[in-house]
Amino acid sequence: MTKSKTLTGGALLFEVLQEHGVQHVFGYPGGAIMPIYDALYDSDVKHYLCRHEQGAAFSAVGYARAAGTVGVCLATSGPGATNLITGLADALADSIPVVAITGQVPTAAMGSDAFQEIDIFGLSLACTKHSFQVTDINELEKVLHQAFEIALEGRHGPVLVDIPKDIQLAEVTQRLDKLSHLKNKVQLPLADISKALDLLTHAKQPILYVGGGVGMANAVEEVRDFAEKTGMPSVSTLKGLGAINPDNKNYLGMLGMHGTKTANIAVQECDLLVVVGARFDDRVTGKLDEFAPNAKVIHFDIDTAEINKRREADAAILGDLKGNLPLLTTDLDIENWQQRLQQMNTDFAWRYDHPGENIFAPAVLKTVSDLMPSNTCITTDVGQHQMWAAQHMSFDDPSNFLTSGGMGTMGFGLPAAIGAQISRPHDTVIAVSGDGSIMMNVQELATIKRYQIPVKVVLIDNAKLGMVRQWQDLFFDGRLSETDLSDNPDFVMLATAFDIKAKLITKKSEVDAAVKEMLDHDGPYLLQVKIDSTENVWPLVPPNTANDKMMEGV
Amino acid sequence: MNPVTLNKYQLIIMADDKQVVLERILQVTRYRGFLINGMNAEVNTGNNVATITMSVSSERPISLLVDQINKLIDIKGVKVDNSEVQIKQYSA
Ligand SMILES: Cc1ncc(C[n+]2csc(CCOP(=O)(O)OP(=O)(O)O)c2C)c(N)n1
Ligand SMILES: [Mg+2]
Repeated sequence: MTKSKTLTGGALLFEVLQEHGVQHVFGYPGGAIMPIYDALYDSDVKHYLCRHEQGAAFSAVGYARAAGTVGVCLATSGPGATNLITGLADALADSIPVVAITGQVPTAAMGSDAFQEIDIFGLSLACTKHSFQVTDINELEKVLHQAFEIALEGRHGPVLVDIPKDIQLAEVTQRLDKLSHLKNKVQLPLADISKALDLLTHAKQPILYVGGGVGMANAVEEVRDFAEKTGMPSVSTLKGLGAINPDNKNYLGMLGMHGTKTANIAVQECDLLVVVGARFDDRVTGKLDEFAPNAKVIHFDIDTAEINKRREADAAILGDLKGNLPLLTTDLDIENWQQRLQQMNTDFAWRYDHPGENIFAPAVLKTVSDLMPSNTCITTDVGQHQMWAAQHMSFDDPSNFLTSGGMGTMGFGLPAAIGAQISRPHDTVIAVSGDGSIMMNVQELATIKRYQIPVKVVLIDNAKLGMVRQWQDLFFDGRLSETDLSDNPDFVMLATAFDIKAKLITKKSEVDAAVKEMLDHDGPYLLQVKIDSTENVWPLVPPNTANDKMMEGV
Repeated sequence: MNPVTLNKYQLIIMADDKQVVLERILQVTRYRGFLINGMNAEVNTGNNVATITMSVSSERPISLLVDQINKLIDIKGVKVDNSEVQIKQYSA
């Protein structure tokens, strides 16, 4: 049945958002999107005014990742739209379903270098999964439905819809009676199941290599089940963390540049890699030619283009992991291999007995992890603190660890935490940030203040762009070029200016009580943790080096 | 100077006839490391189907590009002309 009523384009937008279950959007108004903001005034959709469009985009990403749904952000034309781009690029790199709506100058003015006109449609080509520019009001509804479908179909990703101002104002009477469906592309039936089973039964030293695709395929249960039933030792990428139960005794931790020694050695020695929702990223493989040199590869993915992209698969299984992985469950005779790796897990376990009075960042993050309630959602920024969080915190689901993996975008943590908290109001949300990164979207403290969002911030303060400083020390002869932040603002005073409770700790003995105080506090809280500027993240596989040639520090 | 083997391929691409489809194909082709040597496009003809033939060259296997072009939402299909030619070039 065709529903019909007369609406403006702006009002139609919110109708369609609601049809897709959207309750919350993040954005920032301006001239070319005013008709949409006017329609918002009457809408039941709740809008969060961020203080920078990049903040809005990252909040939409955090929202999407924490709740497993589509995140929505709005911006005006020109600078509003360009400010979204980093967030869209981040969402593309990490395959996050986001729908971004941008206002555009009226169609008659397009192409005339009008005030606040930028070709965001053109700019979107390299940083979205797909994009639309609507120049006919009768297309708007179909396009909006398609935007949601494309964001969620197959490998998730961001979709941008650019809507000129006259289209937002135009009236439209027709309502489609059902969602438009995307044509389904016929995919090659690439499913070498019997070949994969054959490889598996002959493997003596198999490793399960788990990536971010697992969470996105909603296949955490299936992957855990597979790992338990086969007893296959497993390693995880940064984005896969939380997929494998951290208590699984055959789980070896994160692999790659800052991976555990056991994980990296195990992968180098394995004779079979079972890859689930991962893509052989360079931060994972180190020197590609020397990565897992003796391994055959079984590659599960939803994206054909990932198969054979960086590493040839001996068997490829394309499609939905949830249905496909259980087909491979079988008994394995790998006891020696398991025992060796379990022993390595014990021998190379993390140590927290750091000498001296100064706070040891890994130990603080371990304490936060041990004390935080179950189902806490952690977001991070980018740098040393991010790697320490990945190494020393435990996550019970991938949706509880939100970090900018593919893009490595500083400024991600705070706005992503805001989005996560709004999507999951009853869970604790903690942003682990750095003194450099926090300043990249520090204006979002105002968003926290306005909506009293109870996000906790653990600010690891080394008065440095620590990760870059570490590389300068190790690979650039200690020439510390532009990485000093010893003139940082007073972060406690800064938080206080936004009515956010804050505390600074500088000594080990203060950690436990401070973490408890933060977790017990009802509202937002910033805990500034002063650490030594010279601490490094270990182990470290230098760039373009085989993963077993890691540096282990002192 | 190391000799670099550039393979030359002919692609035939069928797409929904959207205004921006050519730009998308050009962007992906460049980004994925393929040089465009020639192109012929029948677009915006009003019959909803765009046909683009393109000759490209690269050191990289053509499957990398085909898979990426296929991922574009507006693409209906990509065919590779089998008669590939190898040309040797010297990198700078
Ligand atoms: C937007 C952006 N700009 C630059 C970088 C490069 N970068 C990576 S880590 C880092 C330092 C981060 O400093 P901080 O947030 O204090 O974290 P730390 O490493 O000190 O823990 C920089 C500059 C980046 N990842 N993102
Ligand atoms: Mg720092």
